[in-house]
Amino acid sequence: MNRRNFLASATTAATAAAVTSWSTRLRAAESGRLGTHPQGKADHCIFIWLGGGMSQIDTFDPKKRGNSKSAPSLPGSDYDLIDTAVPGVRFTEHLAQTARYAEQLTAVRTVNHRLGSEHALATNFVHTGRPVSGSTIYPSLGSVVTHERGAASDQVPAYMVIGYPNISRGPGFLGSKYGYAYLVDTESGPAGFAPPEGIAAARMAARQKLLAPLQGRAPEHSVRADYEEAQREALRLAGPDFLRHFKLSEEPGAMRQRYGGEFGQRCLLARRLVQAGVRFIEVSHNLNFINGAGWDTHNEGQRNQHVLIRELDTALSALMGDLQAKGLLDRTLIALGTEFGRPGQFDSGGGRGHQSAVFSLLLAGGGLKHCGAFGETDALSGKPVAQPVTIPDFHATIYAALGINPSKELLNTSRPVPITDNGQPIRALFS
Amino acid sequence: MLRRLLVLIALLNAIRPAGLGAAAPAGKVLVEICETGLPAKGEWPESTLVATEAYEEDVFGFFELPQKYITTGIRADRAFPTLVRATATVNIPAGEHRLLLRSRGAARLTLDGKQILATPFDQPRQFAAGNAGELPMEEQATFLDLGPGNRLAPPGNREAWTSVTFSGRAPVTVRLETLVGGVEPKSKKPFRPELGETVVAIALAGSSTWHLLSAGPRRVPYTDRDWATYAEERRERIESMNTAARAGRRAAAAPFWNRRRSAARAWLAATPEETVPALPPGFPAQNAIDHFIGARLAQVKANDAPHRKNGGIDFFREIKPILELNCYRCHQGEKVKGGLRLDQREEARRGGKNDGPAVVPGQPAASALFRRITSTEAEDVMPAKGERLSRGEIELMRRWIEEGATWPDFAEQNFELTPLTDDLTFLRRVSLDTVGVIPSEAEITAFGNVPSAERRQHAIDRLLADPRWADHGTSYWLDVLAENPNLINPTLNNTGPFRWWIYESLLDNKPLDLFVTELVRMEGSERFGGPAGFGIASQNDAPMAAKGIILSSAFLGIEMKCARCHDAPNHAGKQRELFAMAAMLEMKPIKVPATSSVPLDPLRAGGREPLIEVTLAPGTTVLPAWPFAQVSDEVVAAKLSEEPTQSRDRLAALLTSPQNERFAQVMVNRLWEFFMGRGIVATVGDWEKSSASHPELLRWLGREFVRSGYDQKAIARLILGSHAYQRAVDPARQETSPLYHAPAARSIRAEQLVDSLFAATGKPFVVEPVNLDLDSVRTIDNALDLGRAKRAWMLASTSNERDRPSLVLPRIQAVAEVMEVFGWRGARPDAGPGVRVGGANVLQPALLANGTMMTWLTRLSEDHGLTRFALETQTLDQFIERLFLRFFTRRPSGPERIFYTAALRPGYATRVVAAAPAERAASAPHQKFVAWSNHMKSEANTLRLEQQAAARRGEIATPHLEAAWRQRCEDVVWALLNAPEWTSIL
Repeated sequence: MNRRNFLASATTAATAAAVTSWSTRLRAAESGRLGTHPQGKADHCIFIWLGGGMSQIDTFDPKKRGNSKSAPSLPGSDYDLIDTAVPGVRFTEHLAQTARYAEQLTAVRTVNHRLGSEHALATNFVHTGRPVSGSTIYPSLGSVVTHERGAASDQVPAYMVIGYPNISRGPGFLGSKYGYAYLVDTESGPAGFAPPEGIAAARMAARQKLLAPLQGRAPEHSVRADYEEAQREALRLAGPDFLRHFKLSEEPGAMRQRYGGEFGQRCLLARRLVQAGVRFIEVSHNLNFINGAGWDTHNEGQRNQHVLIRELDTALSALMGDLQAKGLLDRTLIALGTEFGRPGQFDSGGGRGHQSAVFSLLLAGGGLKHCGAFGETDALSGKPVAQPVTIPDFHATIYAALGINPSKELLNTSRPVPITDNGQPIRALFS
Repeated sequence: MLRRLLVLIALLNAIRPAGLGAAAPAGKVLVEICETGLPAKGEWPESTLVATEAYEEDVFGFFELPQKYITTGIRADRAFPTLVRATATVNIPAGEHRLLLRSRGAARLTLDGKQILATPFDQPRQFAAGNAGELPMEEQATFLDLGPGNRLAPPGNREAWTSVTFSGRAPVTVRLETLVGGVEPKSKKPFRPELGETVVAIALAGSSTWHLLSAGPRRVPYTDRDWATYAEERRERIESMNTAARAGRRAAAAPFWNRRRSAARAWLAATPEETVPALPPGFPAQNAIDHFIGARLAQVKANDAPHRKNGGIDFFREIKPILELNCYRCHQGEKVKGGLRLDQREEARRGGKNDGPAVVPGQPAASALFRRITSTEAEDVMPAKGERLSRGEIELMRRWIEEGATWPDFAEQNFELTPLTDDLTFLRRVSLDTVGVIPSEAEITAFGNVPSAERRQHAIDRLLADPRWADHGTSYWLDVLAENPNLINPTLNNTGPFRWWIYESLLDNKPLDLFVTELVRMEGSERFGGPAGFGIASQNDAPMAAKGIILSSAFLGIEMKCARCHDAPNHAGKQRELFAMAAMLEMKPIKVPATSSVPLDPLRAGGREPLIEVTLAPGTTVLPAWPFAQVSDEVVAAKLSEEPTQSRDRLAALLTSPQNERFAQVMVNRLWEFFMGRGIVATVGDWEKSSASHPELLRWLGREFVRSGYDQKAIARLILGSHAYQRAVDPARQETSPLYHAPAARSIRAEQLVDSLFAATGKPFVVEPVNLDLDSVRTIDNALDLGRAKRAWMLASTSNERDRPSLVLPRIQAVAEVMEVFGWRGARPDAGPGVRVGGANVLQPALLANGTMMTWLTRLSEDHGLTRFALETQTLDQFIERLFLRFFTRRPSGPERIFYTAALRPGYATRVVAAAPAERAASAPHQKFVAWSNHMKSEANTLRLEQQAAARRGEIATPHLEAAWRQRCEDVVWALLNAPEWTSIL
């Protein structure tokens, strides 16, 4: 099967269609004219999504110690500070394991946007890099990477999501073949490919035998023949070769332990998918039963936030160490996304509200020249002080790291649309 | 019956007493709705309020009010809050009985004028904590338990109970009052006007069973099952009341619309008719459409002959794709760069303004097209942007021109007509095309019983009268009009749920000119299904410009998307024109926001002038004006609009006047595309980009549409009755012939597929309520209730941008994931053309093979239609034959019959388990619910994950079929459901 075409029918490309086909074809138009852009060498991206809005002041951009429980509460970080492997760069105490890898990561501390503080809107912006519009649905990071680079193996999809499907993760105007395959958790397996509960391999085989007389009737090149081919491919993928990648039980017990709970297992799965050739994997950290609120730590959500941070710390450091040990870290960019950050002050319930004026996102591995932290914020991490980074800039950095020109124009029917909205890669991260 | 209700309402309005509220007729509950006179604060009015509407009920059980309709029959909101008062004279036997009051809003119950039960006005903690998602789930354990078998209050209800001693000597006047849709005290924003489950129930002394309090002989036990039956029956009655109310409104507006109809007739009389051409000899015809098709086919056969040749380069296969990909961005359609069109033979030969003929047959060197693609000058080479043509492509172009640049009008080589379909294929096709679902076994049988000469027309008439026509049509218009409601916090260019207005319009077969007029007026309810919902575009910098884009494409075939921010190189519409239309919708001058413009300087960085132009500076104020003089003269507005001083009314009249022939033609072209799989103008929403294959037919159909009073079904009847529609598919074709002599199989729409799979299996379509705010703690601006979906189109994006497990609706997700891969869009932030881009992808068969929805459809559970079917007494041969009819509207072939008989033979005779355990009668356990109000709680997330797992497991298998045979039967069902023939319409 053709590379890039995991989600598409494998045929028809060469067949000249009549009048309507102009509107259905897409192609990358040209290389950008905005001068040279840095070009990284990463081949894969693991995009970790912390839905709800990770509090930067409690994680990667700590400030003086505050107190959420005193009356009145005292603004500042809710935890103690620790040193990292990079002199002068400090994180909070619950990121101790990740701190040891600080030389291979950069906390970009001055990310900001003006999209306000509504979750869905900001989530959409951080995934697509553009505000919503009534005339264009913009593609997500993962879909653009899929469009530009396809999968690294023709046996797997280019883009997978471990989390819930939503439009922000979708392919937008690029069309469904640049969409994702997904699984909601590591137990359930990929939707459509993992066999339904209680249907053993033998029964599945029996079913496919019963299906056989109804297949293979479509004339060549017909619409139905395309479907039949897609069906053969789907049934093949539902077989052991593809599903093996999802079998975490194949990993040594010690390795699974290193990664920690369900979120860690998702990261471990992401590593397996990288090895299998998946280009872009979005991993959602949405284990909201831990504190109810997930990363949206209003009021009481703050109380157990440290459990979330520790879980992130365990999984992220395990992932980095594991990739490094396997020689994959330089080729695999880890990017951490969240829709916005949180203010240094506490709300009346001891939690934190929303803040998009400045927040931290993280980049790790991927062959970048890391420096532990980039950019500077004010005393309570409320505003950028130096080197502000926009979301298009952050995206441009990811694209550039993956060897994709962030100003390249894609075609939305006949309209050229640059991959990022004038995003400039953070040049300091490229050697 | 409907008329009686109307009369009753009129009567009650006429005899409305001033002070006391009306007395209830004997044996009935009088329900009165009072919109005026309520105190602002949470308290009961001092005096009895005057009713604005009234109707009758049998018992004290309420869950929904009849809709309020205004103007020509569109939904409107009642006051927030509205008081609902239910009164009856009830005979209650002597004794000490228990009485229960349940309600969504504040309620009180009086007996003979004395208040005996009340529920509280506001529940501030619920609203505050619930709005933050932090309501503790433990509270759900405190809901009243009425004892085994009796019903628990649904989420968000308030309840109270007491014991009352009745003398039994005289009938008691029972009065229930409740507030519907109050106002949240802090934000002053209204709540959804819901009744929840507003009931008065009674348990007589010594009895442990509860009944809804009844004014007459009707007995409704208050159990889950009886309530479901009752609600189902009442819902239908409310629907018919709604239908009657809309008809009443339409009738009241008839004088104006009758004038519009006469104006249309006058216009028809004053303009030349389109002559129906003679039928070429030997061409089959069932109506006038076939004359047009036949004549055009004969004409093309003759005209195209000189432009066809054997051998050499094939224009359509080899040249056109290169032009499409590289040149059409700027050189296709009415507005082109340099005056050069490369989408028409004669235009290409004539050439543009600058370089002379683009194509000179036989002479590549003299052809500007060839010169440009081979130029080495950066300022001169084409394409102007993007990569140069490859050497192979240039060589193809050179050879094509050298060989004479043959360029037929149509790609057709073969002009053979396919014959009529067989009857059953026709029935399946026409059922899917009209009601959106395959025919049932009963429909197939009835069809067969009609004499063969009348069979097809009979089926067409039956299907056009079927209310499911509205379901199928709604799925189309939701796309075209970009309906995009969000269940929670609408911020992604969301609209209101005007789906209900679309649905009711189709149910009433509303004339399309009226439909468009209502849409443009944007009146009625924003959040509960009026066309006002179309007027919303959340977080959009120029909502009315966004609506202008939708309207111009939907109804005029004029694509204005680019004009949102600039003048495009390839579309005639200018930004100023779009904003002039937006100002008409805004009903005042409109300022172009800076965010709706493109700074050109960065685009000039490359040296060459940008292809786009910006002629409207950000900040410019644009006055309301009709921008489409090319389709209709603005003077028409003064004559044809109901309120000529209103710019929306003027716009509506200009869009829909008979003088605007484009409108009627765009509409018939949409219908044509809908049924035929290809538009006469192929690009249905953008007429600049292709021209009509049958201009005379289009004009004739447009005039028929005007003549019919803009009746969609009249046009549908014509198209469906034609030989052209009823022809058999040519299996070798990927696309329907533009000459319509040979159709191709069409891809099934997601909604058709899902509805048909459920219909074929008889599995009930049961998903969660399309609502995340089950208990109504949120105000109308940030939480919608889209009700219980009965058909696939009623679903919506579950909006889980937050990625929170607690906000997943697992059963909806299981169906929506299938629909999405088949082209349905749960979120529609931009206008779709109405034509979905097809094409197979791996996730389609994958989800049909292994998805959760397929687990439900395959498992022979107690509620599954095929379980009942398999228990029927019949031979295995009958079983298989009927299974094929149910699934494929055809009988099994010989080999299929043998194969599936062999598969199901073992154990068939003994498949029925006689002594299966009796059905359980125990009451449902106290089930907790997850809603927005508690979704930030850990327990809510945990519970939702359990629900997700339960959805994935599906229902348990029936004990009435022997397990081994049942499993084999399930495997056969799985195989039949995965047959590729499901995915296309033959």
